[in-house]
Amino acid sequence: MKTQTGTIALSAGRWPSFARWKKRGVQAMIFVAPFVLYGIFLLCYGVNPIDLYVSMVKSAFGDLYGFGEVLLKATPFVLTGLAAALPAKAGLVNVGGEGQLAIGALFATWFAVFYLNAMPAWLGIPLMLIAGALGGALWAGLVAVLKVKGRLNETITSVLLNYVATFTVGFFVHGMLKDPDSFNWPFSPEISSSLRLPIVDGTRLHIGFVVALVLAALVWFVLAKTRLGFRIRVLGSNRLAAERAGFNINKMYFWVLISAGMLAGIAGMIEIAGIEGRLRASTGANFGYLGFLAAMMAWNHPLRLIVTAFLLGMISVAGNTLEIGSGLPSSSVNILMALVLFFILGGRRWSR
Amino acid sequence: MILADILTGAIRSGTSVMLASQGELVSERAGVINLGTEGSMLGGALGGFAVTVWTGNPWLGALAGGLCGLLIASIHAFLVLSCGANQLATGLTIMFFGMGVTAFFGRGFVSEQIVGFNPVALPLLSDIPFLGPILFNHDPLTYLSILLVPLLWFVIFRTRIGIMLRTAGEREEVLFASGINAKLVRYLAVLAGGFLAGIGGAQLSIAYTHAWVENMTAGRGVVAVALVIFASWKPARAMLGAYLFGAAQALQLTVQQQGYAISPFFLFMAPYLLTLLALLIVERRKSSRTPEALGKVFAGEGSG
Amino acid sequence: MKTKRRASSVLLGALALIMLITGCSQPGSHSASSPSGGSSETSTASADASMGTGGSAVGFIFVGTKDDYGYNQAAYLGSVAVEEAYPDLKVLRAENVPETAEAERVMEQMIKDGAKIIFPTSYGHLEPALNVAKRHPDVVFFHQGGLKTANNVGTYFGTIWEPVYLAGVAAGKMSKTGKLGYIVSVPIPQVLLNVNAFTLGARSVNPDATTSVVFTGSWCDPGQQANATNSLIDGSVDVLSLHQDCMKTVIETAERRGVMTVGYHADASSLAPNGWITGSLWNWPELFVEMVKTAQDGQFKGSKFDGKYRGTLADNVVQLGSFGANVPADVVQYVEDQKKALLEGTLLPFKGPVKDQSGGVRIAEGETPTVEQLEGSDYLVEGVIGSIPK
Repeated sequence: MKTQTGTIALSAGRWPSFARWKKRGVQAMIFVAPFVLYGIFLLCYGVNPIDLYVSMVKSAFGDLYGFGEVLLKATPFVLTGLAAALPAKAGLVNVGGEGQLAIGALFATWFAVFYLNAMPAWLGIPLMLIAGALGGALWAGLVAVLKVKGRLNETITSVLLNYVATFTVGFFVHGMLKDPDSFNWPFSPEISSSLRLPIVDGTRLHIGFVVALVLAALVWFVLAKTRLGFRIRVLGSNRLAAERAGFNINKMYFWVLISAGMLAGIAGMIEIAGIEGRLRASTGANFGYLGFLAAMMAWNHPLRLIVTAFLLGMISVAGNTLEIGSGLPSSSVNILMALVLFFILGGRRWSR
Repeated sequence: MILADILTGAIRSGTSVMLASQGELVSERAGVINLGTEGSMLGGALGGFAVTVWTGNPWLGALAGGLCGLLIASIHAFLVLSCGANQLATGLTIMFFGMGVTAFFGRGFVSEQIVGFNPVALPLLSDIPFLGPILFNHDPLTYLSILLVPLLWFVIFRTRIGIMLRTAGEREEVLFASGINAKLVRYLAVLAGGFLAGIGGAQLSIAYTHAWVENMTAGRGVVAVALVIFASWKPARAMLGAYLFGAAQALQLTVQQQGYAISPFFLFMAPYLLTLLALLIVERRKSSRTPEALGKVFAGEGSG
Repeated sequence: MKTKRRASSVLLGALALIMLITGCSQPGSHSASSPSGGSSETSTASADASMGTGGSAVGFIFVGTKDDYGYNQAAYLGSVAVEEAYPDLKVLRAENVPETAEAERVMEQMIKDGAKIIFPTSYGHLEPALNVAKRHPDVVFFHQGGLKTANNVGTYFGTIWEPVYLAGVAAGKMSKTGKLGYIVSVPIPQVLLNVNAFTLGARSVNPDATTSVVFTGSWCDPGQQANATNSLIDGSVDVLSLHQDCMKTVIETAERRGVMTVGYHADASSLAPNGWITGSLWNWPELFVEMVKTAQDGQFKGSKFDGKYRGTLADNVVQLGSFGANVPADVVQYVEDQKKALLEGTLLPFKGPVKDQSGGVRIAEGETPTVEQLEGSDYLVEGVIGSIPK
């Protein structure tokens, strides 16, 4: 780490203005290029890109409500992003944030509906959070056991379990968790208002966002500043060295995955307690995948992840504006998001 | 003859997955994992359908489907091999990109009708009791996909091309020493993989369902990637895995009609759980090892 | 090191921002995710009269895509009619809006863009619409299929089970094996109601007829539809119907295998020249225009749309499709007679006793079910083969 900083300092010392200029320039290009490309695409369909981008920015930053929506959208991405970033530091690829979030939401709702409804907020909300973390941990635990005992690659098992998780939630909302007062429609009863997270006036933003930030800081701290974090990073960068150093690798894999599951499970709980209020089969759909992408964009750095999650949140929110304002189908937002990601992923080599 | 029906169903619904997993197998043999297979399949499904609408010729459609799959995979190849992007993240992005692009450009085709491929009963062979209807009453792409499996096996394990492919996935330096451009080999492998995934998508749209709708592959590309690992990178095993997945899809529908009191949601899970179970059984036997370059991707190094 | 420092300064900034924001929040106001920024209940007569008026736009949100040849396309056609009838109003549309709190943001955006009338067209958009409605008492919401209403939220739907029952009668007449198949997505009440209506119709002419219901778990997965079609036909079903958002694959596959079909949402007779029997269709255009007119004129309160409006076969909100070429004249005549009886009110498809699969009485002898009873169906009637989660 030290030598690296040294080289950067040295080269920066040699051509201070040019190197910096080049780096900034490339970074700016990477950010601007997808929007230019997409603008050309829009022009082909008779939509004025400038007008549209202005209205997109306005909808996200024009007022407190819009800004709140972006943060709201970014919250689960931060947490599912952490659920990918933490294992990545240990050399594991967890694409299961999707399913871990779903089962976390299921557990949180289950406890909220059946056990915590009468409880005061100060007790009920933390218990619900624990339930969510437990659910996520359970689902990640399946991946962990298959990894440690069954020697199955966690990338594949976590993806397959995402499908199973969705159907599991479907089973419960069509059955045991079905709201008796909603004419047999498949969603859970609404959780008690005492279990809802406090929100910011004039928006729908809730304190779940702070929870996500705190957890991101915590994960960063553990990874960067503690002995445990050091060991995780050693394991991730050189498994052989970790083996030689006598680490209990399986145990580490297991607990890293469990922690990741807890983070995603908390995201599920926050969706329920913060915004949805009830569980549906589609709660949190795609949040896990988008979080994974946010983590990859941030190169698995927990704090940078906050920025990339915010960016993805902004594009998602702006996507609605795009559709309503321009009449272009909703799928065109996916194209914009993919373009942005392509440039960030592909341009990394030149932006360093 | 419920068993015969399920086995027939296995081939019918497993073929598109099988083609995609053969393609992914080629790509992974060269050391590149492509989670964007789903995107290539969607590209193939739309491209194949569109060209069949325009030309009325499903063979041209199948070819176009393959090329569209290849085109989408080329983004993966470029970003991973030339820009050093993370393979898994890029693949996932390709998946979203494929969904968006095909949904956008496919809108006009949802209402179109095509003549497409239809099942052709092979004379004599289809009259064989039991096996005949299971194996010899399918559309032409299905027959071709079955022939593809021994062909791929031969190419991978018995030809110079196969040696180059496997070396690219195992020991890049050896290729380098013999003056072969490993990057080029990988490029070609990823493109070939995209082509096959595209044909798999086209099989779904122009042969099996005669329809194009947004996101019609519904996770089949993701399963195809999982099956390659189940298959230990062997074509015949990938075929078996795909048919197993197809059988599970057919089986759950058959079980529903028997009127047992089983929640349909458990049956929906069955194909994925069975795939997991199959993975577990195979891995216990540990008969094959991961191509080395691929191992690095899974170990988090990720860049090509 | 450098990046680390930058990242932590970003974090610090963000934290400071959050503290600032949360500092202004009032912990007491967390009821059902509605910020207290909205206004309190103002149900005076003048507010009622201005409700829904004066907007520059009308918003439509769809759960799927507008060209799916199904539920969403039917609603989309309604929105086109509104566009044509009111050239001055901008029609705002959003497709693929998930049935989650995300729908709230889309509706908020539409209101910001000048919409005073909003059509959330999927069942799952109801709770989000109720939340948004609380915040915007001046906006009228017409929700499709809902069973809950509010001061400025009315719901509408069509009694599609009427034509489905008649199609079931036709299917029962046409089937030789007495085995009918029904391909559906997930067991929601609207789906179960249709399967029940179809089966009751078929059994009214063939008491031994059964309907095998197959859940695919998806509203439109052609691959799984093809599997389901083949699987049902292998199980000797000779008439197939469906409740899906796309139907080309099912109708074509069945036609190829010589099996008859009953459509849903749209007329697909051209896909099955031999096997098409008939189908059930939505007809929203006139109704949507009427609803927009009512709201625009400030007449929403007290109108038939202020509450739970259900358009019937008699209202032409739902329709029975055309008959296929191979349906014999006597069958057509019989179904038309049944339709007449239904329109006259002498035929009540769900008149008790209606028994479920296990023989339990769900609608008692002589009882006529309410809208809630029908649209809240959680059972399958006698004669249906298939299982739903309990």
